[in-house]
Amino acid sequence: MSTECPLSPEVFTTKDFRSSLKPIWCPGCGDYGVVTAIYRALATIKRPPHEIAFISGIGCSSRIPGYTTAYGFNTVHGRALPIAQGIKMANPDLLVLVAGGDGDGFSIGGGHVPHAIRRNPDLTYIVMDNQIYGLTKGQLSPTSPRGKKTSSSVYGSMEDPVNPLLYVLAYGAGFVAQGVPADMEGLAKMIEEAIRYPGFAFVNVQSPCITYGDADTQLKTQRMRMRKLEAEGHDATNRLRAMELAQEYGRTLYTGVFYRNPNPPPTYESQIRERQQNLRGETMALEQLLSRKSTDDENLTAS
Amino acid sequence: MARKLMKGNEVIAAAAINAGCRYFFGYPITPQNEIPEYMARELPKVGGVYVQAESEVAAINMVYGAAGAGARVLTSSSSPGISLMQEGISYIAGAELPCVLVNIMRAGPGLGGVQPSQADYFQATKGGGHGDYHVLVLAPANLQEAADLTQSAFDLADRYRNPVMVLADGMIGQLMEPVELLPARPAVDLPPKDWATTGTATSGGRRRVINSLYLYPDQLEQHVHALYAKYAAMEHAEVRYELHQCDDAEVVIVAYGTTSRIARSAIEKCRRLGLRVGLLRPITLYPFPFAAFEQVIARTQAFLVVEMSMGQMLDDVKIAVAGRKPISFYGRTGGIVPTPEEVVKQVQALLGGGP
Repeated sequence: MSTECPLSPEVFTTKDFRSSLKPIWCPGCGDYGVVTAIYRALATIKRPPHEIAFISGIGCSSRIPGYTTAYGFNTVHGRALPIAQGIKMANPDLLVLVAGGDGDGFSIGGGHVPHAIRRNPDLTYIVMDNQIYGLTKGQLSPTSPRGKKTSSSVYGSMEDPVNPLLYVLAYGAGFVAQGVPADMEGLAKMIEEAIRYPGFAFVNVQSPCITYGDADTQLKTQRMRMRKLEAEGHDATNRLRAMELAQEYGRTLYTGVFYRNPNPPPTYESQIRERQQNLRGETMALEQLLSRKSTDDENLTAS
Repeated sequence: MARKLMKGNEVIAAAAINAGCRYFFGYPITPQNEIPEYMARELPKVGGVYVQAESEVAAINMVYGAAGAGARVLTSSSSPGISLMQEGISYIAGAELPCVLVNIMRAGPGLGGVQPSQADYFQATKGGGHGDYHVLVLAPANLQEAADLTQSAFDLADRYRNPVMVLADGMIGQLMEPVELLPARPAVDLPPKDWATTGTATSGGRRRVINSLYLYPDQLEQHVHALYAKYAAMEHAEVRYELHQCDDAEVVIVAYGTTSRIARSAIEKCRRLGLRVGLLRPITLYPFPFAAFEQVIARTQAFLVVEMSMGQMLDDVKIAVAGRKPISFYGRTGGIVPTPEEVVKQVQALLGGGP
């Protein structure tokens, strides 16, 4: 059995992935740029929308599947990755995208991230990191900088932020990148590469919150602050160097691919298939099992 | 202390601080964010600690820890967050620790919506988590009561060494009313916290262990029986309810919290139409005021249960009435708050009369 789905012969444009729903993010939200970059990436991947499942958690950014034509699954706060893994196990042929905010991924769902990474399912996890809880109106988030004053940290945060890049690198993610909506082309390209990477791929998008975010995180500032890793001559196969650069999270705005494993290990689902084939026994085929008529049931009970 | 115009969520937070609560652990969720935000602002001023936890799971376990150390501790959340806390609540009840929980209910199931609801009645009163246990549940119908019940909640939690939940909804949490907060007062007649992990200096050199694990079935059964002796004591001493215009009532509306406010307006309208309607308002949902029904059941022709759910308290009313009188139910759900006119129509359907 092949894990590859035949590529559709059709030509896709970004329009094919844009749903009729109008996003209800605040005007100026970075997430508009993220969804546009996803449309562009998907147009180059050339998988029809019905072969794509887009899973999200809860938060402003988790509305994103609804704005695409892919199958959407708006799940539980912090649980997008376990649910996405369930989907990928049940239907490995789907292209599975996972998205959410920094709270979803690194606060309430933080415990799930290492385990998704070490299983290495072929998922692309896009975090829209805005350093704030926007949907609940501006509380501290796990990536808020120390000292940040919010409605739930009135006198300034006393906690260091989580470093999402270092976090996923430390647990062994095979593809790690960071983008900004201010650089649409770069963001679309790295999402495309993340999808093409055969295994767990992580893209951290510094997606500014126009309503509760700091002025120095907004799109205009991003354009001035961003430093492209490619231009810095970074070798993306060097994991230790990637970790060194990731230390700069919150200080230097590096964009591009931090790390791409040059020898991707087998994915979880490919290992499952291999094991299933090795252990295949004499039990009734599933299709047959699920299509039994009531008379068969009676026979089974009688025997 | 003077009356002050305040928002429901802030009233609950302020009352908790006046009751000696110095620890708050929570996680943002609409429509209760004003409680943690108030705590974030005010607790440090009184030597208290506020932590925004990484999740509701973390928050309830921080509560477990602080409660074990003998502190007065609060957490608040809204329906989905309270669901996430259920494991911890079961452990806290099992380990017999006092704490106060606030649930500002929103509509479910699942992520549901952010509008008011009363659909967590079963979860609050019938357990929620696993095992044989109860949480004492207080349901305020106005902000003065929210203040008073929140302050009582801490005393009740200490007296029974049990979690106490203040169960309100997005309407109570968000509306504004004048309130007079009870001044901070020393706790009276409360048992000493001779079980708290406060160091061997205070325990006479003996170590204290907080635990909910009993591997021998006979010991666990004994433990659960002891818990149920406490619940029996609560059922005996802590039942609270209000009867309003029930003396001549042919229809008694049973409603708590927000829906009892609507029922009250509906009753006023009904009375003007010559319909004799009263209100039985449970204030403690666990223990439920079963005996209160005996005061009205002889005169009433029918009961009308009004809830913002598909009918949850309804089951307790059925137990109380025990088939002696007919019971109607009117519920709105999904975050819809019924209007007094809708309730009047239900009464008219029962009694006839009116335009």
